[in-house]
Amino acid sequence: MEQNLNRLIEKARHEIGAVKTRADFEAFKARFVGPKGDLTQIMKGMGKLSKEERPIAGRLINSAKATFQELFDEVLERIGNEELAAKLGPAIDPSLPSPDANSGSYHPLTQVREEICRIFKQVGFSVAEGTEVETEYYCFDALNTPADHPARDLQDTFYFPDKARFGNISKKEEEGYLLRPHTSSVQIRTMLEQEPPVRIISPGRCFRRDTVDATHSANFQQIEVLYVDKNVTVRDLKALLDYFFESLLGKGTTTRFRPHFFPYTEPSFEVDFSSKHLAKVGSDWVEIGGCGMVEPSVFESVGYDPDEYSGFAFGVGLERIAMILYGIDDIRYFYQNDQRFLKQFV
Amino acid sequence: MKVSYNWLKKYIPLTQSPEEIEGVFTLLGFEVESVESKGLPVLDGVVVGEVLERNQHPNADRLSVCRVGVGEGKEDKVIVCGAQNYKVGDRVPVALPGAVLPGGFTIKSSKLRGVQSDGMMCSGKEIGYGEDGAGLLLLAGDPLLGAAINDVFPDDDYVFDLEVTPNRPDCLSHIGLARELAAAFNIELKFPSVQFSGVAEGASSADDCLKSVVIESKEQCPLYVAHVISGVKIAPSPEWLQTALTAVGLRPINNVVDVTNYVLMELGQPMHAFDAAKIAGHKIVIRQAAEGEKIKTLDGEERTLSSRMLVIADAEKAMAIGGVMGGAESEVDEGTQDIILETAYFNPSAIRWTAKRLNLSSDSSYRFERGVDSSSVASAAQRAIDLILETAGGTVLSPVYKEGAETDEQIEITFSPDYIRERCGFEISDDQISQFLQALELSIASRNDEAKEWTVAIPSFRSDLSRPIDLVEEVLRLYGTDKIPSAVVRFPGIVGKDDPICLFNRRASAYLVGQDFRECMNYTLRSGEEMKQWQTSAQAEGLKLANPITEDQTHLRSSILPGLLDVLKLNRDRKTGITRLFECGRTFSEENGQVNEMISAGFLIAENEDEIWLKRSPADFYLVKSLLFQVARFAGFDLANHPIEAIEKEGSTWQAGHSAAYDNAKAGISYQVGLINLSHLQARGLKGNVYAGHFSILPARLKGEKKRKQYKSFSTFPPALRDLALVVDQAEPAGDVGRKLSRIGKSMLSGRFDLEDINVFDLYKGEGLPAGKKSLAFSLVFRSEDKTLTDEEVNIVFQKIQDEVEAKTDYQIRK
Repeated sequence: MEQNLNRLIEKARHEIGAVKTRADFEAFKARFVGPKGDLTQIMKGMGKLSKEERPIAGRLINSAKATFQELFDEVLERIGNEELAAKLGPAIDPSLPSPDANSGSYHPLTQVREEICRIFKQVGFSVAEGTEVETEYYCFDALNTPADHPARDLQDTFYFPDKARFGNISKKEEEGYLLRPHTSSVQIRTMLEQEPPVRIISPGRCFRRDTVDATHSANFQQIEVLYVDKNVTVRDLKALLDYFFESLLGKGTTTRFRPHFFPYTEPSFEVDFSSKHLAKVGSDWVEIGGCGMVEPSVFESVGYDPDEYSGFAFGVGLERIAMILYGIDDIRYFYQNDQRFLKQFV
Repeated sequence: MKVSYNWLKKYIPLTQSPEEIEGVFTLLGFEVESVESKGLPVLDGVVVGEVLERNQHPNADRLSVCRVGVGEGKEDKVIVCGAQNYKVGDRVPVALPGAVLPGGFTIKSSKLRGVQSDGMMCSGKEIGYGEDGAGLLLLAGDPLLGAAINDVFPDDDYVFDLEVTPNRPDCLSHIGLARELAAAFNIELKFPSVQFSGVAEGASSADDCLKSVVIESKEQCPLYVAHVISGVKIAPSPEWLQTALTAVGLRPINNVVDVTNYVLMELGQPMHAFDAAKIAGHKIVIRQAAEGEKIKTLDGEERTLSSRMLVIADAEKAMAIGGVMGGAESEVDEGTQDIILETAYFNPSAIRWTAKRLNLSSDSSYRFERGVDSSSVASAAQRAIDLILETAGGTVLSPVYKEGAETDEQIEITFSPDYIRERCGFEISDDQISQFLQALELSIASRNDEAKEWTVAIPSFRSDLSRPIDLVEEVLRLYGTDKIPSAVVRFPGIVGKDDPICLFNRRASAYLVGQDFRECMNYTLRSGEEMKQWQTSAQAEGLKLANPITEDQTHLRSSILPGLLDVLKLNRDRKTGITRLFECGRTFSEENGQVNEMISAGFLIAENEDEIWLKRSPADFYLVKSLLFQVARFAGFDLANHPIEAIEKEGSTWQAGHSAAYDNAKAGISYQVGLINLSHLQARGLKGNVYAGHFSILPARLKGEKKRKQYKSFSTFPPALRDLALVVDQAEPAGDVGRKLSRIGKSMLSGRFDLEDINVFDLYKGEGLPAGKKSLAFSLVFRSEDKTLTDEEVNIVFQKIQDEVEAKTDYQIRK
């Protein structure tokens, strides 16, 4: 009997390789342990054995059964694995490129804008927005730039025809509509809406009738900050700009004020910076923006008392900063959106 | 404003180098655009020559053959020359053979069109003297024949080109800028001395030249002074005068005109000289121009005037556009013997309007429109008379006509030095403040140190100073704005939130970037042609600018998408493989004659044109719809709760039957989503499908910072699902059917448990259904808050729902 069982196991081991599918397996299993299976036949032969032989035979058969179970488990596991592998398909080649390799990206101007907003947010400025279409009052008159003031020469502005009507842009009186030449109109509207203290940063598109070239764009973006409170000083303004440029350009960046003229600030300054972190710039002073203490007549036009409050404003061109930061030499690239340009700033 | 270093030295003893002065100007607030080094480079072999003969070249119309003397004892040279501006007897620079001119150009003897030429007569530009290359440089003042040209122009000079801000008209002059430097260096300013103090007693009468001066337009011309100078001899100016004018970019004309220009540049007071013989009726009238009146100005142009403009006229005609430019007919020329010297003060805004309207800006109008010091009108005339008498001779006749009066008021500013320190935020001593102000000629009229009350008298040339804050800037300028001490940022906290527009843009952009879109930025201004495709012509009209600069940027954009399609085209042409683009920005939407500025986000997905080893399934309507709905959620809107309408009209920029739109003026939102019209894409040269979405919202409707949500408990029990297939009209949108079914379902629950969700899981058209019908299969999800639902209770409700559907709708239940 022992020999028979061993032969049977031997036979099963031999056939096992040919078992490929679950159907094969069922047939294979039936050949040994099915009602007519070989092992079943041997088990049936137990009855003919003597009382003394039975326990021994029983042990032998149990051991054989266990061996068969192991074989079945082994085959089932193999088939299961093979099925799974078929489902998964062939192994991947990790070196093949993904067809989804084109990742998304923020426009470089957005990245710089958001970085600047973050820097100012850290010292308590929050973002204020205005409209791109504005009126002469909010862009000029309220900013101490009356109609025939030579300062209006500084900006050549896009206007809308007299008959133009804008539903959600309020006028002061019957003044004309225009495309804002700077974001300072946001300051006016914010101050008209809220009492001091005010600490805002307003990024946005501006428009001037400039002929487009490598450094001029009729459509450009500005960021302005405004702080109004009691006892705000020139030194506070300098401190803020030192903080800002050091945050943006790294330790060791310095700023310099030069007196200038803007109708809406008094005194007014142009701001230069110098940074050893920008290879292209070297140690030269680079003109970057304008600032100054808010002109008392601007406070008067928004109903703030200039004797009680003082404040400052600072503005920069976003494109100009981005060009300096990234070493871009032509402003037009920002509005061309060539993917080879856009993906460099991810 | 061009300023000469040598010229400045006439008023202040400058020892500083031009580089130092450049730095000082910069920190005083005068940006230095350039510093030009004047004077000649050292030139060997370039000498003073005299044209002795000038003959036509035998073989060339435009060339002359000249015999040129180049010095005593030297052989005359024969030189072929192409310039036209000289005559026999003129002295000019001559480059002899062997001379090397700036730029490395070596002069050789050579044949020009068959005639031997032994050198070259030179223009200023050719020898590195100024920019004038139009003709030969005519040497004034009879320089020694044969002398080295470097001896004729011995002085080096530096010319600073400064940006003078509009608030400082006083610095549009050498004296004004010298005053600034004197203040900065704390040295004394020396005014040019004036000899002429008025017409001498017993002077001859001016009647033969000028009988009267009448100001008819006092508002535009508050002050007019006319001096009559008889017996002048018009000639080229002396060399010093010519050199000074040339340095600052003016062309010498004759002694009288040059003096007026010199005083303009010296003192900033424009003036004009008329030829007295050309004044009809011996009469000057300052009046408004007649509408349409014509005048030929000194630049040779005929100008048509409007009645808002001011003219200086005689009895018959306009002789000058007041404060802007003289007329050609009354010009001082070689034959002039008697002149009338005009100095005046004109109203700045009137001059500004006129210059702008005529598109004619002159050195005079530039100063008048910024504001000339009316108190200096008389003294500037005296200064000019000194120089005219010196260079052209003549006598001043009686009377001097002075009409009108100076307009300047005496301004005083009372302030406390503490105020200055408070605004600055750092310590500047009283002594420093006092010294700075006085250096700028702001004399301290009274000083009460106990009350801390100082009063300064503002000189008439500083029209920009009227309030204490104006003095803060003056003190800072002299203190040095580069010396403002550093400090740490020390601000009290303010509760402030970012604007909802900014929050929406951030969220929508972050989402789309996360979905592999590339952010683009396009111009806000678009072409009218394109606008007609995306808008009705009435809508387009409302978006039009009054004064565009280019044809392709005339209208406000109504949509982000045309710009994105341009970007797609550019990238396709350049084979960059771009597929997903977006932009967040402002658009403008016209409705019923009103334009609203909208907050918009637009995106598009184009097919990838490149062959790639693993194909992805292409975009479809439902993908862009889901993207768009997500974008709308950042604006605070769940569009699933709003109806959506298929675009079925042909001919829009959207593909009929494959796109949808929604426009809710009340909620202030609108969107379009789907496939861009294929013929529109074709017209743009774009192959393949482009799916896009565009969402717009009125800024006021944006929901900013979301309200903090309150927690709601949710059921821990399993749901019970039932499927229901409805046969409906093919034309009926699935969304409508779903909403109706949901309403019926919820009404049948009577609070026992929830109908949590209704999902479409199958859409079937075709065999087995009546014509014109479709089958929609819904899965209904029931759930209770507090127990596991039994089949029985769910079945009861489900049956009720089916009964109600059959009773209340045209839908058939598909069994």
